Amino acid sequence: MNIAVNLTPAELALGGMMLPHARMEDWRWTNLRTLIDRPYPPGGKIAVAAKEIARLRDTSPLARMPAARLVFVNGAFSQGESRFPASGEVGIRPGLPRLSASDEPVASLNANFATDGLTLTIRSGANIDTPIELLFLATDADPRTIATRVAVDIGAGASATLIETFAGEGSYLANSAVSIALGEGARLDRVTLERQAPGAIHLADRDVTLQGRAVLRDFTLTAGAKLNRQNARYTLAGEHADARIAGAYLLGGRQHADTRLVVRHAKPHCTSREIFKCVMDDHARGIFQGKVIVDPGAQKTDGKQSSHALLLSETAEFDAKPELEIFADDVVCGHGATSGDLDHNHLFYLRSRGIPEREAKAMLVAAFVEEAFETIGNDHIRAALGEIATGWLASRGGAS
Amino acid sequence: MADTDTIELVKDIDVDKYKYGFTTDIESELAPKGLNESIVRFISEKKREPEWMLEWRLGAYRRWVEMTEPTWARVHYPKIDFQDLHYYAAPKSMAAPKSLDEIDPKLLETYAKLGIPLKEQEILAGVRRQGESSELDSEGGGETAGRVAIDAVFDSVSVVTTFKDELAKAGVIFCSMSEAVREHPELVQKYLGSVVPQGDNFYAALNSAVFSDGSFVYVPPNTRCPMELSTYFRINERNTGQFERTLIIADRGAYVSYLEGCTAPTRDENQLHAAVVELIALEDAEIKYSTVQNWYPGDKEGKGGVYNFVTKRGDCRGRNAKISWTQVETGSAITWKYPSCILRGDNSRGEFYSIAISNGRQQVDSGTKMIHLGKNTSSRIISKGIAAGRSDNTYRGLVTAHRKATNARNFTQCDSLLIGDKCGAHTVPYIEAKTSTAQFEHEATTSKISDDQLFYCMSRGLSEEEAVALIVNGFVRDVLQQLPMEFMAETQKLIGISLEGSVG
Amino acid sequence: MILNGLSLTVNAGEVHAIMGPNGSGKSTLSYVLSGREGYVVTQGSVTYRGQDLLAMEPDVRAAKGVFLAFQYPIEIPGVATMQFLKVALNAQRKARGEKELSTPDFMRLVKARAAKLGVSQDMLKRAVNVGFSGGEKKRAEILQMAVLEPSLCILDETDSGLDIDALRIVADGVNALRSPDRAMIVITHYQRLLDYIVPDVVHVLSQGRIVKSGGKNLAHELEERGYAQFEKDAA
Repeated sequence: MNIAVNLTPAELALGGMMLPHARMEDWRWTNLRTLIDRPYPPGGKIAVAAKEIARLRDTSPLARMPAARLVFVNGAFSQGESRFPASGEVGIRPGLPRLSASDEPVASLNANFATDGLTLTIRSGANIDTPIELLFLATDADPRTIATRVAVDIGAGASATLIETFAGEGSYLANSAVSIALGEGARLDRVTLERQAPGAIHLADRDVTLQGRAVLRDFTLTAGAKLNRQNARYTLAGEHADARIAGAYLLGGRQHADTRLVVRHAKPHCTSREIFKCVMDDHARGIFQGKVIVDPGAQKTDGKQSSHALLLSETAEFDAKPELEIFADDVVCGHGATSGDLDHNHLFYLRSRGIPEREAKAMLVAAFVEEAFETIGNDHIRAALGEIATGWLASRGGAS
Repeated sequence: MADTDTIELVKDIDVDKYKYGFTTDIESELAPKGLNESIVRFISEKKREPEWMLEWRLGAYRRWVEMTEPTWARVHYPKIDFQDLHYYAAPKSMAAPKSLDEIDPKLLETYAKLGIPLKEQEILAGVRRQGESSELDSEGGGETAGRVAIDAVFDSVSVVTTFKDELAKAGVIFCSMSEAVREHPELVQKYLGSVVPQGDNFYAALNSAVFSDGSFVYVPPNTRCPMELSTYFRINERNTGQFERTLIIADRGAYVSYLEGCTAPTRDENQLHAAVVELIALEDAEIKYSTVQNWYPGDKEGKGGVYNFVTKRGDCRGRNAKISWTQVETGSAITWKYPSCILRGDNSRGEFYSIAISNGRQQVDSGTKMIHLGKNTSSRIISKGIAAGRSDNTYRGLVTAHRKATNARNFTQCDSLLIGDKCGAHTVPYIEAKTSTAQFEHEATTSKISDDQLFYCMSRGLSEEEAVALIVNGFVRDVLQQLPMEFMAETQKLIGISLEGSVG
Repeated sequence: MILNGLSLTVNAGEVHAIMGPNGSGKSTLSYVLSGREGYVVTQGSVTYRGQDLLAMEPDVRAAKGVFLAFQYPIEIPGVATMQFLKVALNAQRKARGEKELSTPDFMRLVKARAAKLGVSQDMLKRAVNVGFSGGEKKRAEILQMAVLEPSLCILDETDSGLDIDALRIVADGVNALRSPDRAMIVITHYQRLLDYIVPDVVHVLSQGRIVKSGGKNLAHELEERGYAQFEKDAA
């Protein structure tokens, strides 16, 4: 059967690449064909003054934290703006890493349009105390697609803290592909801070593989961009691997965020936990699609997932699809999902003790997302991101 | 009590696991194989239908021709050749409607063998026996609770409907769909297709074009149906499909409880069953619909068995309406079935209680949709899936609250139990909250029967198989309790049988 | 209609007990006074220090010194008790135009008050009322009262669910807060609590109104003869 499709202006600008739409199961709630309503042609080089970059960089709540910082500006790795890790056990190789073939739309967007990237390697057994931040900045310029690609390889028994921060100004489509390999017994604390410009689109694809006894702590705060889609695949490829994956949404206005998570237990005796806390105000729409797969033979799997939504306005929306796909019998798996508004009893109790309504609401929002933030191992990062959550409601004005 | 009953019953299991697999040797009248407009006309003519019914069927057929089979369910089977089936089969002796005394004794015998006596005096005798047997029964209501009116459907036709006169006294219409089209056209025209439209999905369109028999129930305003209603479906003929259509209307303030049971002979070929059930509950009305589905599941290697592609939907059309689905799914090679509730009226309530057991090579993809449209609507989903052998068992469900469904409430609990390491259990829920005042709670777990539990039971003298049956009965208890009590014991027995051979 | 024709005047420094059988409207009274949503006052007024209490939001009432010790304290996961108390105290101080307490000053205050009530540091670190036993919840309520220093304390069935030792600790805590410029309304079903918190006036509430008022001996009378006689009067 041959179906004639009229390409949208956005698709034409991407060289005729067809964007995902609601008839595709994984995209049922995020129809990019209609949501991306203007063209974002592949971006070329843009000259930016150092002062501009510094100004943008300093808006990050993590700007003053001691860290090695690898800076991308408008999709180009800027060695000049970067502060390389002091340790000789960290290797950084600029240039596009290889991307494993995928027909996933966000990944293929990256395969077609990524302009720059790097490969980061941590030597086996090395313990890197200072966090390494990958900072992706976009400056205010014509609407365009900015695509970057990063590969991370953590050697056996090594440990590190890795931050990905996305920030910018203006109107752009940011596409990011990250692949991470954790060696035998490696440990990675990973934090993503998505604070893209209010007019931006963020489409990210992430692929993480854990070997035996590897430990992953992964937290993503989704607060920016008008349209956000994050794919993440985690494969527990060795026995006794342990992954804790958390996220929080703080969405207002007409923001739209969709996370599609797939956790695959390929080997026995692994543990996975997912905890997502989604707060939506105004007309915002949050979506969480999480799937736990237990392969045949992956006995003694312990996999649990939870997603909870807090809707602060009657016009906010939440959609969830927490899936289990299980092919081994000796497992303990489960998921929970809830959606609702603020608990009126909680609000009354706080107010009966003299806390004004706005403040009480802000406290309850912060308390709601708290459990997800506990996944962040680094105290400094947790505190800095926690402040975003605490101040979020107040910073948005309008909300009552 | 219930548990010891189960153990006793499990002990009695025939060597042949599927005890309903016998064939009735009866001469049938068949429509020629294949589906086209003239077959649709043939069926309509056989049923002596009015013109409007034929037009409705033809409309559905024309839509069906344009549609493609759905592929999103987690079930795999060779492509069905829809032109290689008979769309109508009826015992020749059923050429004209008969009174009970005139029914072909072979048919009566068939139903007796299935444990479904069709003569009213036998039914009463049977119930008395049952009433003495178990303490479970004493939990339930008064004298009339044990009586069940039955519509027996054999291939494409209704054989007989019992207790019709007594029901008529209460104003309740309970008859075959064919009869309803002729005798109560105003009701059929008003409600048929109003919940599941002709073009709703591929199988619903197919059913709308060729539906054979099924039950029609109308309960007038402020009437409590004086007894349980039940339909017993039997596919006998080779290479046929059964396409029954059931329509139940509970008018304002009415109450009705309805149960369907299904079996089919053991045959090497697959049989197709594509039913449509529509429920309409008006203001303050309540419909309780229970299914014990035990179609032939195919043999251990997956040969034969019924393809069960069913569309069931209820519409809570008025304020305070309530629709409750309870299903026990143990049969069929493939099950594709999502009994749903449209909660349109304010304060209306939908419930879905399900036990789905798969063994051998069975594939189950089943669940529900709760669509909250009205204010203060509530729904509850309890699903218990048990996968054994090499089967796949999927729960698929949708809970959605529309923007105006202020204060919608849903609670969902989906539990899966795996027996053996060759089977799969899957959970695919969709949750959509379009208003902040909706409170949704969804929980799912997957586990196996713990070795500790098994050991504990066995140390008390149970065999492993008995222990499994016992534990599974405990696992499904919440749902079992929703069944009309007449069917609880039967169902517990069925659970034991379905899991036979799943351990060791 | 839950409360109907209830009239009550409580002066500073006084402790009033309100006794009544289940369903007489005791808890409703406490919720109406503290401003819980879901209660509509169709008639009548509540004047608190010359102001219309019913016109105030719950947090404004609290800042003006109204405190309700809940019969069933609410559990709030994720909000640490210590943080909760600090935000509450400083919000009230701010509303009254007072200077906010610094963290060390606040800690000193809470620790001192907590010790007297046998509230452990561990409890203070935990989320508000989450995982607290019945007795711990009631002690935490009294601790909040001690820290926030209200001028009108409403104790709703504070004795329910307490064993005799816990009751004594809670009562001691309450008695320590009695002062000439603080009024208390003690709502209870049983006379037992009033052996420890001795009231100045006892009121009997039945079918939404006060059917009898008297001195502390009225409580003993009730204990001996039950509520039935008063219910007759009310009917």
